[in-house]
Order: sequence, then C-alpha cells, then structure tokens
Amino acid sequence: MTTNAFKLTDTVDAVVIGTGAGGAPLLARLATAGLRVVALEAGKHWNPARDFPTDEKAQDKLFWNDERLSAGNDPLPFGSNNSGTGVGGSTLHYTAYTPRVQPDDLRIHSDFGVGVDWPFGFDQIEPYYDEIEQFLGISGPSPYPWGPPRKKAYALGPLPVNGAGQLMERGCKSLGIKTSTAANAALSAGYYQEGVGHRPACANRGFCQAGCNIGAKASMDVTYIPLALGKGAEIRPESFVTQLVRDARGRITEVVYIRNGQEERQKCHYVFLCAGAIETPRLLLMNGLANSSGQVGRNVMAHPGLQIWGEFDEDIRPYKGIPGAIISEDTHRPTDPNGGSADFVGGYLLQSIGVMPVTYMQQMARGRGLWGPALKQAASAYNHVAGINILGDCLPHEHNFLELSDEKDVRGLPKPRVHFTNGDNEARMTAHADKIMRQIWDAAGARNVWAFPRNAHVIGTCRMGTSGDQSVVNPDGQSFDIPNLYISDNSTFPSALSVNPALTIMAVALRTADRFLTNRNRLDA
Amino acid sequence: MHDHYPSGTVRALLQTDQVTDATRQALTERLTAPARQPTFFTADEFALLRQVTDRLIPQDEARIDLAGGIDERLSANKSDGWRYDVMPADRDAYRQGLAGIDESATLLFGAPFGQLDAAQQDAVLTAVQNGTAPGTGWQTLPAVRFFEELLAETVSNYYSHPLAQEEIGYVGMADVPTWQRIGLNEREDREPLPNA
Repeated sequence: MTTNAFKLTDTVDAVVIGTGAGGAPLLARLATAGLRVVALEAGKHWNPARDFPTDEKAQDKLFWNDERLSAGNDPLPFGSNNSGTGVGGSTLHYTAYTPRVQPDDLRIHSDFGVGVDWPFGFDQIEPYYDEIEQFLGISGPSPYPWGPPRKKAYALGPLPVNGAGQLMERGCKSLGIKTSTAANAALSAGYYQEGVGHRPACANRGFCQAGCNIGAKASMDVTYIPLALGKGAEIRPESFVTQLVRDARGRITEVVYIRNGQEERQKCHYVFLCAGAIETPRLLLMNGLANSSGQVGRNVMAHPGLQIWGEFDEDIRPYKGIPGAIISEDTHRPTDPNGGSADFVGGYLLQSIGVMPVTYMQQMARGRGLWGPALKQAASAYNHVAGINILGDCLPHEHNFLELSDEKDVRGLPKPRVHFTNGDNEARMTAHADKIMRQIWDAAGARNVWAFPRNAHVIGTCRMGTSGDQSVVNPDGQSFDIPNLYISDNSTFPSALSVNPALTIMAVALRTADRFLTNRNRLDA
Repeated sequence: MHDHYPSGTVRALLQTDQVTDATRQALTERLTAPARQPTFFTADEFALLRQVTDRLIPQDEARIDLAGGIDERLSANKSDGWRYDVMPADRDAYRQGLAGIDESATLLFGAPFGQLDAAQQDAVLTAVQNGTAPGTGWQTLPAVRFFEELLAETVSNYYSHPLAQEEIGYVGMADVPTWQRIGLNEREDREPLPNA
C-alpha cells in the first residue's frame, strides 16, 4: 500500500507520531504543502475488506491493548474505550458521531468562573469544520437545530434511523425535548473525493465500534491517509516510538522507534506528536521532555457518559443501523425543573445508542453484576434493548492525572497509571442526566431500565495555553520548551467540551498544520 | 419478548453467501475449536475454574469452553488494555482468586468449592461478589474487583460464541447484504423469527 520510502539517513521535514484523528489530517496537510513527511504508527495497516470480520472478539485487535493501570474512585476503562492501534488510530473503532462544539464550550471559565478557556475562539475552528465535513462526507440534517448557523450544509443527508433512535424520538417528543438526526462520519450515499476515490454508502451493519469493513465510515485509513500517501507521505506501520533525541541546542534531531524487533532512527527537522492523551504524555515523561511547566500528564478529563438501557415490546435488533442515529443538544446549558440554572457547570448532549451483543453483555456483567439464570434471562431480551447516553463536559481536577508506574510492559517501558475520580460537578451533571434519560425511556415505554455509569474520551494531559508556566504547548500546538516539537491530539484540549471529540481533534490538527506552515520560514531561520 | 433463534440458525447462515470470508473464518474457528488442555492453569485450578464458570453461565451441555478461553489468554499473557490499579497482574489475580474461592468455600461450608452443591457454590460466589467472603486470600486481592473481572471475561467469552449469539437471536454476522429494514419491528428475511 505504501509506495514512498524515505531513508533513515535522510533528514525528513517532519516525523508524525500516530495516525489517528490528530495525526492523519495534519500529515496530509504537510504532505500537500510539499514537505517530506514520515508517519510512525504503532499498529498495523489493515485491509478492512480482508481483515475485519463481523465479530467483536476478533476485532479487539483494533484496540490499544497494552496494559494501562486505572486508579482513583472512578477508574477509566481503556482497551475498547479510547485509544486505537493501527493506521487510523481510534477512528478505526470510533462511533463516528461528529457533532461540532458550540462556541461557549470554549469559554467555560469566562462563563462559569471555573475550568479553563481555550486560547482561541470558535471562529478559529469553524472553517476547518466546514472543510472536514465536506472532505469526509459527513451525513447530517439541514438545518442542524443547535449552535450558530452553518455556512455549509452537511455533505450528505442524514443516515436512516434505527429502533433506538425512533424510541428516543418518541420519548423526547412526549417530554418536549427537541431531537434531530445526528451528524455521523458515515456515508448516507456513495461519495467521491479527489485524492481519496469512491467510498460506498453505509450498509447499516452497526459495527462502527469494531471496524467498518467497506470504508463507508470515515476512519482516517480511508480518508486522510490515502490523501497523504497520494501527496508523497510515507506511513511506517508497526513502529513503536520510544525516544526523542535532542541536540546540544535542545532541538529534536531523531526519533527512535522499534520496528520488527529492531531499533531504527529517523532523522528529522520537526516532530508532531499525535499519539493521544495517554501515549503522548507517556512518551514525554519517559524522555523527561517538554515539561518545564510540570503540566505533562496533569488535567486528565473524561466525559461523563452515563448510559440508560431499557427493554421494549418492539423488535429493535440493536445491531442494525448507525449506532448513534438521534441527538439532542437541548441539555447543552440545561435548567433545573423550575427553569433556573442547573446546579452544575457546563452541559451535555443526549444520544441514542444501538449496541453489539458482546459489548452489551459485558456491560451487564460489570454494571448489573448479573450471572447465572438472571444473566441468561436479561440477555435473551437483547433484540428488545435500546439505550441513550450523554456526553458531558468534565472539569480539570488536581486529583486526576497520569504518571509512570514502576511496572514495566513487554518492551520494558513503564506502564502508565491514570488517576480518575469524578468531581462534584460531574456527579451533579450525571444525576441530572440520569433523571432526564429515565423520563425519556419511561415515556418511550421502557421496562427493566438500568444505568451504566461510565466516562468516555480521555482528554487533557498536555494542555494548550498562552502561558508556558501553566501549559505544555502554545495555541499553535508548539511546545514551549522544544521549538521543533508540536502536539496534535486530544491531549492539548484545555477543556473537555460537551461533544464527541474526534471532529474537533481533526479541526485543531489542520489548524496546527496551517499555523506551522505559515510560521515555518521564521522557525527555520 | 425473550428471543431464542432455532438451533442451527448460525451454522446454516455460515454456509450461505450472506457471510463474508473473514467473518466465516473467525466464527468457524470458534465453532470447531476443541476443548482446551490448560497450559497456564494447573489441572486442579482449571477444574475449579470450570466449576466456577459453570455457575456463572449455566449451559445445558458443556459446549462452550469458557475456562479454556481464559487459560488461552493468560497463557499468551494478553491484556484487554487496562487493569484496576488495586489488582495484581491478571495471572496472579486468577491464581489468588481461585485459591480464595476454595478457601472461602471451606470456611463457609467445610469443603472445597467442587464438593459443594449448587446452592452452596452460588452462596460462595455471591459472597465473593459482595466482598463478604471469608478468608485471608481476600486481604490481598480485592474480592469485588476480582469477581467483576472474572464475570466480565466469562460473559465476553460466552457471548462471543456463535451458538450463544444464536441463543439471543443475533444474526449480525450475515454481513454481505446491507441492512435496509432497521426500524422498529422491521425484519430482514435473513433475520429468523424467534422460537415461541
């Protein structure tokens, strides 16, 4: 698949570490600008048609399965939750929900006096949303009922609504909660993009979280990666980065990685670290780099993601259709029952969820503790279950951080330990959402309703900001300490936002690439 | 509203052109896998694990090798990507947890787990799940988390099996045609009606 090959002795313009939502768009942008770029990816370069069975167990190969240690009162699950491995990163298994942030998501401190504002406003991200939505072929409604008016309609109309979505529409309608078909990075019709080619419409196979086998879902391996390859980038899969080597001036000159059991070194002028909110700070901490602020690994945030499940008389067969068909952002800045402000900062969105069988059963095991005949009884209702969940903002807390443990992985590198405990704000938000979602499911006719508490989307750990004392990178994604090191992934987000992060990771990645390209002549001087 | 597909539904589907080669291969391997001889657990530990998983997921005939799946993973030293920080490494957790179950069984009912009747076995497992099981083993291994991990892995192994998926009325593996009838009470022809 990869035709370009730079030599290790070549000094390439840039090495990009990671090929997910943070790395792939940036890689394509740099290659398009004519730079000589190499991407190092820890996982394989899959051929989905050949390698992706419709089988959850076989597909756990897409998850980042190196062990992470989960500490705190609300230990974060990893593996299927969060990072991915393989060219495309976690977009190989994301649900492909692609809502935009609303402008006030970026001003949580200005509006509430807690948390941190982003160092730039919505106007800095919006043009990239427009660009990415057209490039990926996002399916969604026009108009979209929340947020500022859009300059462009979504590239394609919305995907068909499955049973869970219909039930959420029904329940919300009776409560006066507005719903809409969601924006999804899966094609509702065949789509052609210059530099990428033709991708077919979604087959409604419902398997987004375990890998799309036809390229209908806009994972990076079928969108920005082929674009980057066509523009001359090289992708080196199965290359696990261990070290960033600096010269006497403190600039990174070489990236060291393990490939086929051998250590290799790639010389380069710039490094873009796009390994996600766990591996990015882990690599920096292992190398003792870019941490004069002491903020590397701090501010771990994770969206409150409570799910409410119920059983219905109707035949649902929850494995069909895009899992997240229906959305509501009426709870973006919610009120209390008397119309006053809610008793928490920020807000959340509501989404319908379909589910694959193994995922659902495992959640019942963990969340309900069911076993024996009780488990079998609950499991036999699988074709009649549907869920809704929230994704809500999460404040940065002092007690939530990533550190290196003393325990070593198979490579002899320290495993990361991630401390996470929801704060009062997250607890109050979750209680608010629990009540609303139960009302929705009651109104829709659910029985045997149960809640699965969770946090999704790890964010933070290399905060972006205007001060090198309090932040790891500046608003352009550039390290305050190492001028030729950039970070482009969810680690730099100053706040967690109240939406699925992938679209915004891509948008900030393109912004970072453009800022770099604009400033590069000055940087090289 | 509790669905069971007719026995043989999935095997019949796998013979058709409605299943991709990749899916057919993955599921056929699982359907035809022989019962495992343990390579991580000792014979005694493996027998005990079998007795435990039989209570967690009762099967009419012991057709899906749940303990074998756990032994296979631990033999390969594979992880699912994370672990509770309060827990020891997975291999140690299973060894200590199984010993703890036998210790609790003896303290509660005067005999090892395998010699108890079903109700007594369930009482032991319930005590482990609730964190109330007696024994020194649980002083170093958090019983509640151990049980959660054991249950989650057992359940995951069971419902990954095509015959268990058939049991709950799942035919999502028929992945060649697209799914067009996806709304409430809509059914494709390849989605059989459940057994009454």
